[in-house]
Amino acid sequence: MALKALDIYKLLPKKNCKECGDPTCLTFAMKLAGGKADVELCPYLDEQAKSVLGATTRPPVRLVKVGVGERFFKIGEETVLYRHEKTFYHPPGILFRVSDMQSADEIAAVTRRVRDESFTRVGTDLRFSGIAIENTSGSAETFASAVATVEKQQAHLPPVLIAKDPAAFSAALVHCGSYRPLLHAATAENYQAMCGFAKQHGCPLVIRAGSLDGLVRLAKDCMAEGVQDLILDPAPENLGAFISRSARIRQLAITRSVPELGYPVYLDATLTGLQDAALVLGIVKYASVIVTSPLAPGSAKASLTLRQNIYTDPQKPIQMNPGLYRVGNPDRDSPVLMTVNFSLTFFTLEGYIESSRVPCFMLIVDTEGLSVLTAVAAGKLNETLVRDSLKKFGVDNEVTHRKLIIPGYASPLSGRIEEATGWKVLVGPRDAAEIGEYLHEEWKKQA
Amino acid sequence: MVPDAQFGWSGTIEGVILGATKSDGGTRRVSYRIGGGTTLPFLEEDPTSPSPLIAFEVCDFPPFWSPLVKDYCGDLVNNLAEWAKTADTRYRADLIRLHLNSTRQRNFSDIPAVGKAVETVLSATGLPLIIEGSNEPKIDSEVFQRCGETGQGERLLLGTAEASHYRSIAAAALAYNHSVIAQSPIDVNLAKQLNILLKEIGVQRDHIVIDPYTGALGYGFEYSYSAMERIRFAALKGDTDLAMPIICSAADTLTIKEVREADPAMQDAVAVSWEFYTGIAAAAAGAEIICVRHPETIGMLREAFASMKARNSAGGE
Repeated sequence: MALKALDIYKLLPKKNCKECGDPTCLTFAMKLAGGKADVELCPYLDEQAKSVLGATTRPPVRLVKVGVGERFFKIGEETVLYRHEKTFYHPPGILFRVSDMQSADEIAAVTRRVRDESFTRVGTDLRFSGIAIENTSGSAETFASAVATVEKQQAHLPPVLIAKDPAAFSAALVHCGSYRPLLHAATAENYQAMCGFAKQHGCPLVIRAGSLDGLVRLAKDCMAEGVQDLILDPAPENLGAFISRSARIRQLAITRSVPELGYPVYLDATLTGLQDAALVLGIVKYASVIVTSPLAPGSAKASLTLRQNIYTDPQKPIQMNPGLYRVGNPDRDSPVLMTVNFSLTFFTLEGYIESSRVPCFMLIVDTEGLSVLTAVAAGKLNETLVRDSLKKFGVDNEVTHRKLIIPGYASPLSGRIEEATGWKVLVGPRDAAEIGEYLHEEWKKQA
Repeated sequence: MVPDAQFGWSGTIEGVILGATKSDGGTRRVSYRIGGGTTLPFLEEDPTSPSPLIAFEVCDFPPFWSPLVKDYCGDLVNNLAEWAKTADTRYRADLIRLHLNSTRQRNFSDIPAVGKAVETVLSATGLPLIIEGSNEPKIDSEVFQRCGETGQGERLLLGTAEASHYRSIAAAALAYNHSVIAQSPIDVNLAKQLNILLKEIGVQRDHIVIDPYTGALGYGFEYSYSAMERIRFAALKGDTDLAMPIICSAADTLTIKEVREADPAMQDAVAVSWEFYTGIAAAAAGAEIICVRHPETIGMLREAFASMKARNSAGGE
């Protein structure tokens, strides 16, 4: 059972020394209660207080870092089963896999692709996260030279090393040991050797077992060896086994029922033979590291888009900056369409305007990210806002006409907007999909 | 031993029957019963609950249909009977969803043609049908009446009822024992409200399928995804007004920028990826009917659903 902030506060030194980075012991206690701080940050706790607090205040899913430098990524510290209960915090790393049997040219090409490829969506650059190198050759030397090939590209990407033979890790870590690679995987047979590497290089370690009992046993063994940054590979035989194990791990972790399962989850998307489906399920069902073969363009974009969608904070609508946006090359006679700064509204409308091939101005007003319907209901979208936005963004210098198209759902405001702005208001369709037809038929009649 | 994860569910998703075979008074080759779930989708091994069903969408007025599908299917789209038959025998869909989009033409009034389209698809395939009718108050009543009558005894799924217009559909469903798709704009409370409205005019719970409205991936899909999860969650927690199966139709997928502007050589692949990613995620959230427009998406979904239903025989859970 989790402790409340005040119960935790009682165990703290109450010195308000700020050495933990928080202004007071009480604010530190509140962070601990929310699973947002580590007990170790307080230098004055005795061992007993630490052990009481440690078990109940550490984040239910441990935060683990993979890689170093600009492209390193953080995973874990998740608190919910459903994103709508709060949010998912740390998007899974999606890493492209290469085999050490591939030629150096091929390995280098995949590395450069992950280094360079990026898609911009909703103002954010989406990228793949790193490179997984697998020792399929069975030779430690070949493995090491594949790892060296990856590192030679100077991509500084988080690496995953996949091998069975400790000798292979030993040889590969010479090339990337200081870049905090993720090691895959410790099993019941080899965990002591694997823990040795993890400790020596300070890197996170995947533990692999086909049952939750097996994972718990391994987690205990590895912790006893002194390795704390663990990642769980539930070794699913099929997609059903993945959903079932991953959902149980998450639920048992966030309820703190089985602390040994309080680690991020690893998924090898290639293993079930249904890579795309595994990717989707990894993203929506709690995987934090997903290894996949290099993806075709369609899957690449779809997977990064899905990851962005699912890891968007549902409590904060993504907003556009208010302003006057151009679609195509509008001139002084082009239509002006007003709408809200909810990003989804913006991008949906923009897409349909583009496909209509009618150059337009989009006047985006600040409704704090509310959609048209809710902004009208809440009074956030009103004639004053429209008047001020027209003025602020100098719309009257851009067009010679004085006609403003407003969203169908804002039609109750049309009279008041006309009065406040002096512009003629045209009520557009409710559904953005109909904007093309509207521009081609209604607007032409007006113009 | 690791204890079993406790979720605290108590509810069951209502079963809804789609299609009627000869023994049930219809002419369908198969019928399905969806619903019946008592946990998160795919969490438990449950051989009795079916995989999500895959519905292939066709229409009676191809000029309004996606150019991508028209290019891929070719002349087929101009022959409704052949198109539906191909969806059944070659694309291997579980259901056919017929969009009567001829009714979206201005001043449409050819009601007999609507009945004929339904009849055409009914005789071309032995699969259960979803019929998507008009969205125009002036003709709704006649259109749905005609659809209902033409499909009498076939346990159709009629769409789409919304809070602003549900009476015509409900009347046709009640008169001829069909089920209804109830669509609300990505909001669990509005979904519940509409179900209550339908209940009040006599539509039984086992005749309702919820459509929470699916935004395309990248265009609000996350809202739909969470709406589906919330509906399933509320249902499992015991809210019977939300305990109906969910249908997912990301109808805008083929018109989004990523697909429209893809390299022509890659366009089909991108479209299929987009439909597929949406369909798998929706199924994981709780959707039990996944609608697609690209034929190539069907086989991929089917293979993935089989693996999602599977478990290892060794146990270890």
